[in-house]
Amino acid sequence: MHDASEVQWGFGDITKMNIYVCIKQVPDTETKVKLSSDNNSIDTAGIKWIISSYDEFAIEEALRLKEKNAGSTVTVLSAGPARVVEAIRTALAMGADNGIHVELPETADNNMAAKALAGALKKEAKVDLIFTGKEALDDGAAQVSQLTAEYFGVPVVTVVLNAEYGAASVKCKREIEGGAFEMIETPLPCLIAAQKGMNEPRYASLPNIMKAKKKEVKALKAADVGVSDADQKIRYKNFQLPPPKQAGKKIAGEPAAQAKELVRLLHEEAKVV
Amino acid sequence: MAKVFVVVEHRDGRLKKSTFELLGASAAAGNETHAILLGDGVADLAKELGQYGASKVHLAQNPGLKLYTAEAYAKVVSDIVKAGGADVVLASHSPTGRDFMPRVAARLNVGLASDCTQLAFEGTKIKARRPVYAGKATVEVEFLGAGPQCATVRPNALGAPKADASKNAEVVNVTPDLGALKTKVVEVVQGASGRPDVTEASIVVSGGRSLKNAENFKLLEEMADVLGAAVGASRAAVDAGFRPHRDQVGQTGKVVSPALYIACGISGAIQHLAGMRTSKVIVAINTDPEAPIFQVADYGVVCDLFTLVPLLKEEFKKIKEH
Amino acid sequence: MTWQTFAFLIVAGSAFGYSGYRFSILVKLMKASQGKSNRWDHISDRIQTTIANVLGQRAVLRKKSAGIMHATIFWGFLIITVGTTEQFLSTLYQGANFEFIGHTAYSALAMAQDLMTAAVLTAVLYACYRRFVVRPEGLGKSRDATIVLMLTGSLMAAILLMNGFHLLANPEYASAMPVSNMISGLLGQLGFSVDTNANLGTTFKWIHMLIVLGFAAYIPSSKHLHILAAGPNTFLRTLPREKGMKPINFEDEKVTQYGTAKISDLSWKDTLDYYSCTECGRCQDLCPAYNTQKPLTPKALILDLKENLYRNKEKLLAGKYDEISHVIDENVTEDVIWACTSCRACEIACPVFIEHTDKIYDIRRNLVMMESKFPAEVQTVFKNMETNATPWAFSSADRANWTEGQSIKTMAQDSNVDVLLWVGCAGSYDDRNKKVLSAFASLLKKAEIKFSILGTEEQCTGDPARRIGNEYLYQTLAKANIETLNRYNVKKIVTACPHCFNTIKNEYKDFGGNYEVYHHSQFLAKLISEGKIKPTKSLDETVTFHDSCYLGRWNNIYDQPRAVLNSLPSIRMVEMKNNHDQSMCCGAGGGRMWMEEKIGKRVNVTRTEQALDTKAGIVASSCPFCMTMLGDGVKTKDMTDKVKVMDIAELIDQATP
Repeated sequence: MHDASEVQWGFGDITKMNIYVCIKQVPDTETKVKLSSDNNSIDTAGIKWIISSYDEFAIEEALRLKEKNAGSTVTVLSAGPARVVEAIRTALAMGADNGIHVELPETADNNMAAKALAGALKKEAKVDLIFTGKEALDDGAAQVSQLTAEYFGVPVVTVVLNAEYGAASVKCKREIEGGAFEMIETPLPCLIAAQKGMNEPRYASLPNIMKAKKKEVKALKAADVGVSDADQKIRYKNFQLPPPKQAGKKIAGEPAAQAKELVRLLHEEAKVV
Repeated sequence: MAKVFVVVEHRDGRLKKSTFELLGASAAAGNETHAILLGDGVADLAKELGQYGASKVHLAQNPGLKLYTAEAYAKVVSDIVKAGGADVVLASHSPTGRDFMPRVAARLNVGLASDCTQLAFEGTKIKARRPVYAGKATVEVEFLGAGPQCATVRPNALGAPKADASKNAEVVNVTPDLGALKTKVVEVVQGASGRPDVTEASIVVSGGRSLKNAENFKLLEEMADVLGAAVGASRAAVDAGFRPHRDQVGQTGKVVSPALYIACGISGAIQHLAGMRTSKVIVAINTDPEAPIFQVADYGVVCDLFTLVPLLKEEFKKIKEH
Repeated sequence: MTWQTFAFLIVAGSAFGYSGYRFSILVKLMKASQGKSNRWDHISDRIQTTIANVLGQRAVLRKKSAGIMHATIFWGFLIITVGTTEQFLSTLYQGANFEFIGHTAYSALAMAQDLMTAAVLTAVLYACYRRFVVRPEGLGKSRDATIVLMLTGSLMAAILLMNGFHLLANPEYASAMPVSNMISGLLGQLGFSVDTNANLGTTFKWIHMLIVLGFAAYIPSSKHLHILAAGPNTFLRTLPREKGMKPINFEDEKVTQYGTAKISDLSWKDTLDYYSCTECGRCQDLCPAYNTQKPLTPKALILDLKENLYRNKEKLLAGKYDEISHVIDENVTEDVIWACTSCRACEIACPVFIEHTDKIYDIRRNLVMMESKFPAEVQTVFKNMETNATPWAFSSADRANWTEGQSIKTMAQDSNVDVLLWVGCAGSYDDRNKKVLSAFASLLKKAEIKFSILGTEEQCTGDPARRIGNEYLYQTLAKANIETLNRYNVKKIVTACPHCFNTIKNEYKDFGGNYEVYHHSQFLAKLISEGKIKPTKSLDETVTFHDSCYLGRWNNIYDQPRAVLNSLPSIRMVEMKNNHDQSMCCGAGGGRMWMEEKIGKRVNVTRTEQALDTKAGIVASSCPFCMTMLGDGVKTKDMTDKVKVMDIAELIDQATP
């Protein structure tokens, strides 16, 4: 084992890459979750929608790669209801060139989304590299990057912190547990699922925001990419809210007794140790 | 009664506790419990699997399986599951399990319930519940269509089972076909410090200006090491030079959401709260009973941290040893 | 025509011709800038301020000794110039003079000139003493200044010597020129002949005229240019003082450059500012950034921008705007631009009314909106404001949670109120500041004022976004708030935050938001004076009041907070050394509340030290940011058990039954 800092990270001398980024639009993390009346979904009224933050690292990595390699393009895709076009525009405002929206119902599951994204990618002439976030902020299942790669037929590396791009392959630093990493080499085309800290996503400049408002986003229907309701494999139901947070307990007594009681509560009541 | 296949996780010649959890839960529900063990030179691990509930171990060995690779695991596991006629396929939602299981699900054309915190068996099906929206709600997962029901389970969710030395599993050797592997694991590298990053740790111990100097943070580090926790710091502590900026928790530092956040000598100013408010359980230790941190703490101790932290460390040690 | 006339025509023609040519370049440079600035409003106010500050030297006299020195030189020159003109005329047309005004009048003129010449010489000597012996920091080393002082001093000496010799030849007005007469007496002892005296008189007259002409040629490349620029700069200053930042029209598709990327993006008025700078350093003296070792000093900023302008002179005059260098260079670095807290101490101190802050904030607009270059921690603030309408990472749905248990209504529940209480983000989310809002709400109830809040309909006023340079985000929030306020037909607003106060009062009107806006110090002062609030519990404490920049320097509110505090029985008020418009900023303004302070000493700690020097037991403030900054400062100095930082509302509420 040697120190990962010896690796030369960076963007190789490659030209004209067609780079793709799959993004998901999710409710803002401060959203108060309210359940629908039948408890089988959440109430989307008043929700502020944002691009899932792991996807922002993906977009930023794609943009940096494009800036280093003349003639490259970045295309952003998202599968979901009409509202996700706004997220695609935000990605365009960051600097992406093209946008593709595959329309799926609000109830679509990860499998449908992955099949839709793979289907849209299959319609593209040349796909050199695909980026996604390692998981979505709302679902947190961390499935779609692998599912999409399988359906599109390319290798995928997940939880990537750093990558070194060559003309035909890419070397990734993948985070595993306990502060350790795997160094993984894979040929192009492939899919990379970005981890937090891969880069610092840029803030969209105003001229780009203005331009993005007018850009055309390609609209595809589920049928156009070979997706039907039969592709839904998971359905969520019986949503439950966690019990309301109790007021904090102040633990009294002498320090020795306080320590004992605190640890007991953490172990038996809160179950976090 | 279901035919349940559990994908075994091991590292450095030792089986992971999460594997025992899954085997134990499946066996306790009366299912036909199979274990899928991939690796190279791991035959003697098979014995332990029987003690935790596996009746059959599908052992697939190959030099190409010595190190974990998603591609190889996806291929071999799918093959074994298809050949074995599984009703249910389970793995831990560890970095490994959550990485390869979606690929297995895609190859089997079935759905996957990830990161389940509750799992029950009903006949040949599973009833799974998982958190969504960062834990602000939980949902029950309904599987649609035919095929095995796949799930990854959050480590520690099902409770630690007890080993039964009298139980044994039948070991079946499988010749794995790895297929044309495109991905190569070049090497595995240890991180700079053994401690996890403050943003991804499940327990964070954090200190404020009251620590008085950098050396005193050793107190927190010692307690953190017992817990396997990361060490964070308030902006005041970072500004005073006690800790580096990368450890700063707060709006202008790192935003963390661990299962347990222990704030030692931190008053709880708004900037800090914005960085740790969403932690599942918050413990506050402060000599000032009016400190704002007590407003968000689940458990508060009005005490001098210099007295309490060493005592806590010993108490945590006792828990860890059991 | 005598040889003198001939020589004079050549010399003066060359000097004034050269000077005029250089001057025309300066004017062309002014016009070459592409920014716009409309300064022709409030003409009568402009005339008044020019009379008071140029003729009356009011701003200059804010500093006593230097002020008197300068005023003497300025007024002196106004009078002496009459004499100089007379000299020029007499050289052009032999025998021309002003004696036609009558003997008495001419005597008075001669006396005035004589006394003022001596006074100016004295002032110049004092100036040399100040610059070379005392050496105040703000002045710095300046070869230019030395040359000007030498020229001025020798000019006065030349006049006195000229007069001295002339009086020996023609003592008609000797009694009207006491100083020159005394010098004349001394010169007479040299025992020169009458002709020699006359010739020497003429010689010194020529020396005097040549110095003046030399000065004229020197002025365009010197800071002495201020004698031409300062007057117009005063006339064209921003009126009134309670100002807002100027909006950008994003609907105008022709505008492609937002903010200042190059020196040419600023306006002709900014160029006039550079020309007016006398390098006196008063702006620097109170700058909180400069005084805590940040790379920003307003004086250097103006001079560096001028240097940038001159460096790009050829390109500006040729209209080659594409080739002009970036305004950020090794002098004006990004750290310089971000260090500003918009306290406006520089602008208030400047005797020639240079507007430093607008330039900084226009440069920020380019950095933020065009180049996406800003301190990394600010991106979270933008995102929070975009999604949750608050700079802190909290949910917009929680905005009214602070009112729990206080029976405070929202406008949605009851909009028929005396006044709208604008809570602000600090009051809504910061635990410490929630107490201030509760105290103020309690006072409003005690005074039987009917009020409501907007609750979750309230969004951040946008102040942080605007000060950091994200004008687009600011306008999004401002327009949303104005739409809500107008929907409820709000007429009167009171707020406890000077930033909200300033933004709504002075800046919302650009977007159709016109309301009667009060800061809670004004509101409380009025309620107390009307007897609607009667603080009866005595506060046996020494209290010092910290003037917030957005209340004081930005909006001229100094007395009302003090009146409020003085209504507390037994209170002992003590002023910090720097108070009222000399108050030192707490460090949170200009969006800096949201940025890390990585360079130099902490601004808030420095101001806290000034507060602690008063030995007061309570530091009173009327701004949530000042309170946070001073509170942190007291903690840093380990004085939390001796000194409390409190808002005026809290002090009044706890004293009012």
